[in-house]
Amino acid sequence: MAEVHTQPAEQSSAPQSSSEEILSIQQRRWRKFRSLKRGYYSLLVLLAAYIVSFFLPLLVNNRALVVHFNGKTYFPAVRDLLDLPIVGQLGGTPFIAGEELGQMGNKSECNYRALKRQYEQEGKGNYVIMPPYPFGPIEDISVEGNEPFMPPLSRTAFGELRLFGTDDRGRDVFARMAYGFQISFSFALLVATLSYLIGVPLGALMGYFGRWFDLLMQRFMEIWGSLPFLFLIIIVVSIVRPSFFVLVLLLVIFSWLGIAQQMRAQFYREKTRDYTAAAISIGVPTWRILLRHILPNSLVPIITFFPFAVVGDIGSLVSLDFLGFGLAPPTPSWGEMVSIGMDNLTNGYWWLVLVPLGALFVTLMLVVFIGEAVREAFDPKTFSRLR
Amino acid sequence: MVEYFIRRLLLTIPTFLGSTFVVFLIVQLAPGGPLEQQIQALKRGGETAGAGLVGEQALPKDAIEELKRFYGFDKPIWQRYLIWLGVWKREAKSYRIKPGVPRLVGDNERLILVKEGESFVLRNAADPSRPIGDWKWRQERDEETGEVRYRVYREAYSGILTGDFGRSYRFRKPVIELIAERLPVSIQFGIISFVLSYAISVYLGVQKALRHNTPFDFATSSAVFMTYSIPGWAIGAVLLVLFATDRFFPIFPLGGFEDPLYTDFSLLEKIWDRAWHFVLPTIAYTAGSFALLTMLMKNSLIETLSQDYIRTAFAKGIREERVIWLHAMRNSIIPITANIGYVIGIFFAGSYLIERVFDIQGIGQLSFEALVARDYPIVFAFTVISVVVTLIGSILSDLALALVDPRIRFK
Repeated sequence: MAEVHTQPAEQSSAPQSSSEEILSIQQRRWRKFRSLKRGYYSLLVLLAAYIVSFFLPLLVNNRALVVHFNGKTYFPAVRDLLDLPIVGQLGGTPFIAGEELGQMGNKSECNYRALKRQYEQEGKGNYVIMPPYPFGPIEDISVEGNEPFMPPLSRTAFGELRLFGTDDRGRDVFARMAYGFQISFSFALLVATLSYLIGVPLGALMGYFGRWFDLLMQRFMEIWGSLPFLFLIIIVVSIVRPSFFVLVLLLVIFSWLGIAQQMRAQFYREKTRDYTAAAISIGVPTWRILLRHILPNSLVPIITFFPFAVVGDIGSLVSLDFLGFGLAPPTPSWGEMVSIGMDNLTNGYWWLVLVPLGALFVTLMLVVFIGEAVREAFDPKTFSRLR
Repeated sequence: MVEYFIRRLLLTIPTFLGSTFVVFLIVQLAPGGPLEQQIQALKRGGETAGAGLVGEQALPKDAIEELKRFYGFDKPIWQRYLIWLGVWKREAKSYRIKPGVPRLVGDNERLILVKEGESFVLRNAADPSRPIGDWKWRQERDEETGEVRYRVYREAYSGILTGDFGRSYRFRKPVIELIAERLPVSIQFGIISFVLSYAISVYLGVQKALRHNTPFDFATSSAVFMTYSIPGWAIGAVLLVLFATDRFFPIFPLGGFEDPLYTDFSLLEKIWDRAWHFVLPTIAYTAGSFALLTMLMKNSLIETLSQDYIRTAFAKGIREERVIWLHAMRNSIIPITANIGYVIGIFFAGSYLIERVFDIQGIGQLSFEALVARDYPIVFAFTVISVVVTLIGSILSDLALALVDPRIRFK
């Protein structure tokens, strides 16, 4: 759906001379969008941040990028690349035990920061290259050197910087915030896209065919819409602890309604237009009328709504996580971070609340700015005040 | 018009039944349903009574059967649903009885099962000639021992339609009472934030429309978008950290609804204390709702201002304030009345997220805790209330729309 405005329209018209340039509607929208600086730069920033976030395991991780030990080279962090939710959860990442790399007596996962110090002391030519920010989102107080409630910009006993401090279990707040962005944004994009994939065709069919199908679906949607959805999600979540994708589906089940309603109204309106009647009378097949003729004319309201759907879905996830009914721990999530902060409110650990919520605010603002610009580009309204 | 609204009202009935049935189904079929919950509660109760010596003792089979009968688990689910609604008779009271032995059933009434020919007859124990009311008896057979037992029982219609929402498992109180206790808190927040959000959004919307594309417009737009996109409880949490914790500006209380010593305060202190506790939560409540209204107001006024009749009004030399507030506002206010029906929602406005952040013991907390503890009578009550509020709210909105805009005719 969202491609419509990014679709370059080269095929429709070759670039013309500058003054009388003939632009397709998509080109005009894209130009308008680019001229709206706030939205355009928000898009660039967000896009860049999201792309970078796929490489988080190489940037923010407690596993080393490269370990060279006794002539053998290991790449522990690389495996984590496949562990991000949208890429696919391949189960627990098999770890390399500390003993294997020369950490004596450590049968559990290797502590790479300690390993680095160890190799440097030994000076045997073994080396460890850590990611730029050498803390992971999940490692907690059980790892040597991690302490709970370290304030922002403090340093560990070994001199490593904790940008945003640590939480109640000694987990790094910056790392959790960064991974939380990846997860929240992937989650919202997935939920929004899937609910469009369900809502658009259903709404279109309801609007176009009408009759009993419409009537039945309308009653169904009315019932579905009057259900207290957060309530139901919590009931379901308290029975089965959902994985990332189950939670996505749970939200999709409730969020396609609004989109279907919108589409239904659009198709209902477009159906009565002359061009549809013309298409029917010259015998254009129904699927073609739906896809090629009516659909492009009905997409504007729901395309402009897409960013706001993403905003809503991020908000839902954070709220659910905050209540403890979202993603299973220890998944790094903003909502869960805030709830830890709220539990420790009186102790003055302000960063536990402000850091994740700051990240939330910035992300949502960027998306809303994009949404505003998209709306402006698709549906420009010029007001003339007569005085 | 009237027909339309009557039809709308009638259409809410199938919707109400449909959505309550869905919730009922989900809750009943989910593991850890009401029956299991109650059994668990009884077990826990037994343990503490038995000083924990017995440990995980199995509940007597009788007791479990008793519970099953009480919740109607010996019946199919549609029947249970009807019982819950209150349109199917429920076994309200039932007692074991031995033939020939008088049994006390409620208010000093004793019944006796007398053998009469092949069968039994139920009689009043004190005076066989007196009527026994609607008490009935039946025979049942223990599945394991094969022993024959007798039982007297009375049936009654009792469900949500008769106003019986049941009793909370945890508080051992009627649900209605619990809700009534928590209601005042939520209503106060509901009303204040409702009035505030409409007042702010109308004023701000008008100002933004009049100063369209000025720095003021851009600056307030950012604020409006921010509050639109960010959940109210998150704003509340930030405010709490900034303005209530010792770390920054400890101006407001950390949460709660009133001071612990509230009851000892004088009236003035009470008002002051209440207002003090109200500031931050009210901002959180209001922030969520005023953004959308503001933008609606602004866009609608801007559109009206570009119409011909406004130009005519200006051309006649009417003062600007008069044109805007008297001529333009009448038409511009229409879109924002479209939401006003949900005003009935303010009585149950308790958002459990905000209440949790501010630790307010309101209606939201009650429903959320009930959900977590699987206190189903409360959960059901809230489902019913929220479904009814949504349905009625949308009808009221249409009604309000029809009232302010005579051009709108619903058919």
